[in-house]
Amino acid sequence: MEDLKEELKKQLIEQLNLEEISPADIDDDTLLFSDKGLGLDSIDALELIVLLEKYHGIQVTKPEEGKEVFRSINSMAEYICKRKS
Amino acid sequence: MSVRITGIGIVSAIGLTVQENLLALKDGRTGIMPFSFRNDNKTFLAGAVRATNTDLRKELHIHDQYVSRTALLGLKAACEAWQNGKHCDEIRTGLISSTSVGGMDLSEKFYSAYLHGNNPDFEILRMHDSGSTTEKIAVELGISGYINTLSTACSSGANAIMLGARLLLQGKLDRVLVGGTDALTNFTVNGFRSLMIYDEQWCRPFDESREGLNLGEGAAFLLLENEKSIRFSGNRTLAFLNGWANAADAYHQTASSPEGKGATLAIQKAIEKSEISLSGISYINTHGTGTKNNDLSESVALKNVFGEHMPAFSSTKSFTGHTLAAAGAIEAVFSVLSIQHQLIYPNINFRSAIPETGLEPVTILQTEKPVSAVLSNSFGFGGNNSSLVFSNHE
Amino acid sequence: MYYISAASTISHQPAFLNAGFSGVIEPLHAGSELINPDYKEYIEPGLLRRMSKILRMSVACSGACLKQSQIEQPDAIVVGTGLGCLLDTEKFLNNALTIKGLLPPTSFIQSTHNTMAGQISLRLGNHGYNMTHTQNSVSFEHALLDAMLLIDEGEKHILAGAADEHIEFLDEISRNLNIKPAPGLTSGASFFILSAEKSERTLARVKDADAIGLVGNIPEKISMFLDRNKVKSGDLDLVLFAGSKVVTKDEIEEFQTFMKMENLHCMDYLKYSGIYPTASAFAMHFAADKIRHTRSLKNILICNSLIHSNLGLILIQSVEA
Repeated sequence: MEDLKEELKKQLIEQLNLEEISPADIDDDTLLFSDKGLGLDSIDALELIVLLEKYHGIQVTKPEEGKEVFRSINSMAEYICKRKS
Repeated sequence: MSVRITGIGIVSAIGLTVQENLLALKDGRTGIMPFSFRNDNKTFLAGAVRATNTDLRKELHIHDQYVSRTALLGLKAACEAWQNGKHCDEIRTGLISSTSVGGMDLSEKFYSAYLHGNNPDFEILRMHDSGSTTEKIAVELGISGYINTLSTACSSGANAIMLGARLLLQGKLDRVLVGGTDALTNFTVNGFRSLMIYDEQWCRPFDESREGLNLGEGAAFLLLENEKSIRFSGNRTLAFLNGWANAADAYHQTASSPEGKGATLAIQKAIEKSEISLSGISYINTHGTGTKNNDLSESVALKNVFGEHMPAFSSTKSFTGHTLAAAGAIEAVFSVLSIQHQLIYPNINFRSAIPETGLEPVTILQTEKPVSAVLSNSFGFGGNNSSLVFSNHE
Repeated sequence: MYYISAASTISHQPAFLNAGFSGVIEPLHAGSELINPDYKEYIEPGLLRRMSKILRMSVACSGACLKQSQIEQPDAIVVGTGLGCLLDTEKFLNNALTIKGLLPPTSFIQSTHNTMAGQISLRLGNHGYNMTHTQNSVSFEHALLDAMLLIDEGEKHILAGAADEHIEFLDEISRNLNIKPAPGLTSGASFFILSAEKSERTLARVKDADAIGLVGNIPEKISMFLDRNKVKSGDLDLVLFAGSKVVTKDEIEEFQTFMKMENLHCMDYLKYSGIYPTASAFAMHFAADKIRHTRSLKNILICNSLIHSNLGLILIQSVEA
């Protein structure tokens, strides 16, 4: 699970072109879409859906599902494990 | 101050001429059908124009080796609106078109061949840019001087009409052909899919269950003339353009603000400019793409302006699909026809209202209600909102 | 009358935040690079990460321009671009043709021509008129004409500008079409505040402009333009034109003869800006800067026939002219 979270952080940084940020800057529970967290927006949400498919073979068919799934690295990792089992 | 509309031309999924489009609107016949690009097995719903490039080239006597479909569609509609107009030095003529894809229909074929190492002809790319598409139309119609192209995504066509009107009223031109054109491309179909707003089903504007848009293609042009030009051309006035406005939403790159700020401003200012009262608006041809975001935002904007006294409204995108830059112009032609023939078009595929606003569009063709003034909305990416007001009087 | 209250340019010349740059420009040489400002000073990292070249140039340039003018909200934002957002268009096209699954949407969203004008309005929270003109080599002139029309209609301050970006594929296209542009193809952005009234900040005024498509007789059109503005060719202190070769004395003479205007002081602005569709915007900034810093100059004409079937004309005058 820890490896998955590290992987996710790297993938997220790459997919969203977060040039100034390293995986160490993102906590497992950092709120990705909050201004106090990473401050991502709805375009990023779509990019994360692409990320899930590209790197983890998981399809999120409704963008609204994204809100809960992408809350933090923790929730993303949990979702991936759940979908894979 | 209003501007006279003396010519209209249109090509869309529901017809290759004004007459054909009118018939389909009256019959409630959608032009959105299963469609796939040649050499592609993916099928999706789209409003394609029922004419091949070969058909169009033949009809328009085009012999150039490479001409984009966008230019062909544009030329077809422009010719119809132009009505074989004559030129004379004293009548200053202009052309303002608009497009989002330009020659991309050709360029993407080129690029695919290029990536596969098939040695494609680079000459194809000369037609890529938006300006060239318009220039082709100008060349064919013998128009020189003021030739311009606007590109503001889905509000482009309406903006071209607005700019033309302003130039006429400020005395810069005597007549101007204004409109927009866009062909279906893999680029845009894939683009809207990537935004997850392309519906696999027939689009349902203003419906609770709406899931997105269906793309369409087409073109439409209007001829605007001042009195001096009308004395020269002898053209009849079909309707008047009385009001217009463009306002930025400044909310998000692709989504419209939930309180419909830009849309509200555009609608209010256009109506104010027209000097027609709110109750004087007989019908609203909405932007109504069928996306969750637009239809809610537009409904909120309409309520902001009209409150409890909502005029009859509908979206004709369930007939034509969303034709991007051409939409504002296609719907302007529909608005003129609405006034000429006293028609209010049905919003096909509607069943139940959006819960947040409860607004219900017209679902059956109306022929008995008097139509004297029509509001037409076109709201684009980047928060570019435009509204036009047409009527049967100055 | 239309007054240039502020101007900002990103180019190969040290123009950015450098009033008086017109005195220190040098012709481009091979390997010359665009002088980029520190974009982080104008754009938050969260947004900068997504922005292509053309977008960051436009946002930074327009930001600097507004700051200079000390105007918080322009009444309108009008942008011209010949080829639009090529980097993002190329990226999305590539993705669409090579990726089998879901496509990342960002490059599609940013490929539309009006991304610049849209982003600028977003950052300012501006709800005014917002327009993007794209008529290849005269895109900037059309944007300028629109801005002038808005002022005629009663608006006070318009943010008007133009930008174009270079991608390597353009060079490949040129090679294959046997076009050998010299100097090279490049990128650039220039933004202005056009105002209805003058102030002590005013650099110069725009007396008139025109964009003529499918132009027939260029010298005739230029004469007509000067006539209607009651300016004789002898009144022109400088003519900036779009040369298409490395300028030699011959080409200047050719231009003078072509124009039937001997003794004309001419300068090929492309030699300094590099070639991109909206390079005439650079010329306008250069002209305004030159006039502001040189008392004796009264009239500068910009003749843009970068593409020979189009003619863009801008007449810049000193405020006292």
